[in-house]
Amino acid sequence: MDSTALLLARIQFGMTAFFHFLYPPLTIGLGLLLVITEGIYVFTKDQEYLRVTRFFAKLFAINFVVGVASGIVMEFQFGTNWAQYSSFVGAIFGSPLAIEGLFAFFMESIFVGVMLLGWNRLSAKAHWISTILVAFGSTLSGVWILVANSWMQTPAGYKIGSNGIPKMTNFWHMVFNPYFPSEFTHVIMGAWEYSAFFMAGVAAWFLIKNNKDMVMRKALKVAVIVGVIVACGQIIVGDIGAREVVKYQPTKLAMMEALWHSQKYAPETLFALPNNATESNGPQIGIPGMLSMLSYMNPSAKVMGLNAAIRYINKKDSKLDHTKLTLAMFPPVWIVFWSFHIMMYFGFYFALVMLIALYLLLKDKLFDSPKMLKLLWFSTFLPLIAIELGWFTTEIGRQPFTVYGLLTTVDSVSKNVNVLDLGLSVVMFVLIYITLASFAVYLFKRELKERSQGKDELAGESAKAAN
Amino acid sequence: MNLNILWFILVAVIILGWSVMDGFDYGVGGLLNFIAKNDEEKRYVINAIGPVWDGNQVWLILGGGAVFAAFPLVYASIFSGFYLAMMLVVWLIIFRAVSFEFRSKVESAKWRNFWDADITVTGLGIALLLGVAIANILMGIPLNKEHIDYQSLFSLLNIFGLVGGLISLSMFLMHGSTYLIMKTEGDVQQRARAFAKGFAVAFIIVTLLFLIISPIFAPRLLGNSFGVIGDLVPVIMLIGAIGVILTAGSSSDIKPFAYSIVAIIGAVASLAVGIFPNIVPSSINTKYSLNIYNSASNHLTLLVMLIATIIGLPLVLIYAIYAYKKFGLKVKMDDSSY
Repeated sequence: MDSTALLLARIQFGMTAFFHFLYPPLTIGLGLLLVITEGIYVFTKDQEYLRVTRFFAKLFAINFVVGVASGIVMEFQFGTNWAQYSSFVGAIFGSPLAIEGLFAFFMESIFVGVMLLGWNRLSAKAHWISTILVAFGSTLSGVWILVANSWMQTPAGYKIGSNGIPKMTNFWHMVFNPYFPSEFTHVIMGAWEYSAFFMAGVAAWFLIKNNKDMVMRKALKVAVIVGVIVACGQIIVGDIGAREVVKYQPTKLAMMEALWHSQKYAPETLFALPNNATESNGPQIGIPGMLSMLSYMNPSAKVMGLNAAIRYINKKDSKLDHTKLTLAMFPPVWIVFWSFHIMMYFGFYFALVMLIALYLLLKDKLFDSPKMLKLLWFSTFLPLIAIELGWFTTEIGRQPFTVYGLLTTVDSVSKNVNVLDLGLSVVMFVLIYITLASFAVYLFKRELKERSQGKDELAGESAKAAN
Repeated sequence: MNLNILWFILVAVIILGWSVMDGFDYGVGGLLNFIAKNDEEKRYVINAIGPVWDGNQVWLILGGGAVFAAFPLVYASIFSGFYLAMMLVVWLIIFRAVSFEFRSKVESAKWRNFWDADITVTGLGIALLLGVAIANILMGIPLNKEHIDYQSLFSLLNIFGLVGGLISLSMFLMHGSTYLIMKTEGDVQQRARAFAKGFAVAFIIVTLLFLIISPIFAPRLLGNSFGVIGDLVPVIMLIGAIGVILTAGSSSDIKPFAYSIVAIIGAVASLAVGIFPNIVPSSINTKYSLNIYNSASNHLTLLVMLIATIIGLPLVLIYAIYAYKKFGLKVKMDDSSY
């Protein structure tokens, strides 16, 4: 295999997935928040909650279409760029994608049209149900996409057929593979967390300008209440997820924690400069015994280092025909270590910010605290960074495999796509994604500006030009 | 009937669903700059598909997923073999997907002209490329022993491929025109009637041309598995198109669209009949072709997917019927419209 072509294919997949993943979390999470705000309106007839819903639905729409547009390529590029992967695991991996389309994406996409363009055509309750179906559909979409992804982490429900290709033996074992429950919970809560910060941040921006903005006060209240529950819960969920990694993906755990050699009383390393060449961390700060404690509830437990984990995987998979793993095949450990750790530090920061915000809200001081409002506005997009870092951790940490223990990345790529075609498509995607993101940011800022200049939330997209 | 044959039929049904439901979106998009004279009319035309295009597009996602799951080798061979063509389609779809929402957000003429051009070009481009790809598959692509195709983008642009592209282009433009006859009133509807007639005539001409040159480029189509009955399937395309010509000028708003659907059913059925039991014929050696058996997933996957489809597709139809009903037969603009 041409190593340049492999590298370009990996860059393209990483880039397109990175870009796509910027949008669906807000679709999923803001969907839930809109269900809450519109629900309050439906049951209390409080017009201000309708205004919250209508305004954030506009931001939802901008985010949604870019998510849809960037998602198309995700489904096609397994075939275009990873043809060997597709032929090898398509019989298993393809089914959650098809089911996602059938059961989730149709529901989401049909009702999003009803929701965004049907404000005047449906009763308040019927409209609310449409919003619920959009939120439910997008969450269900997340379910099936994460079934597919978690199966790549901890493949289950298959056996290797006589032709050497895995075939499905149990659909539900495939769906509820060991990693799925914790990965799904962690990602969905990440989406809610980001969306709570998004709504809080946007509301805070308006309140900094005018803290008598009653509509945005309500938005901030909802966002903080949801945010504090999710941000605190996420710490527990993240811990559970990490223990699954301990059990099933020892090489990933060793990279996340920059642990080179197996040891008892393994430290939870807080700072390190991992170096693959020397297989050491340079200067490091850690809490002794903490990693053993977190992994096995026992500070003296032995945790597998990267070298031992590689030997362990080689021995475990000795019957499979993927090449023997060596350290040279692994990504730089510092990428996985720092992605994981920065995400984790962010997670604690989010919980802290939301707890302070809740405290001020309960003391009735939140809207009069410009410092706190500024902090919330400053934090609007930080959870999105954490989400992407979490994805780096799980995907780069899975390397050198595409399907853990079953298929390596080198053996997954299309053989017939040449460097020239790949180079062209990579450049095009860079240009297209920069363009799309710029449009989205421009339109997003425009909505904020228009509202701050007094545009009525209940007026439609082009009220002036309407017939 | 075995599961492999059933899945061949289901994939054809999904392609049909996509062509009927999303086909008019591309057709309407392609027509936008020609059928609407000012911003008011353009918004009117866009709102004919505004609330539904996104749901319709999922047929494409479903098609990709279904082929991936049921015939993974087809998915892998076609998508990697048609690499740049697939990328081109993806880029067009990306720019189509954001266009309606983005267009409506800003009222400046420059901004809207840009997105109008975008909607027109992406609609025409996707409609054309679809037929190019399918004609090439019908002709056979150079799959080697490992079912891998090493040809370049430019080899897709042959005469047979281009005539196939003109079929899908005229078909979607005809379909979009008849959809607008159904959804609009007044001047736009009058223009849609004229367009529908014109594109139906064009569709008949290129279809006949395709049938005439088929024995030269794709002789396999003469020897289809269904004999004379199979040979007669393309007649359905012509019947549908003639129906469109005869009803486009009448007072009926719905009949032209119904006949257009008949033409599309004819096209998809012709494709299925022409290629069965292969899915991707190899032009190097027929032994290397991908058929419904050597490209398929194992029995359990096909069975699970079949059960999912039997439960899922009726739900999709219920959602779609609800959405179309809520927005009524004729476009009515209000302040939440695009």
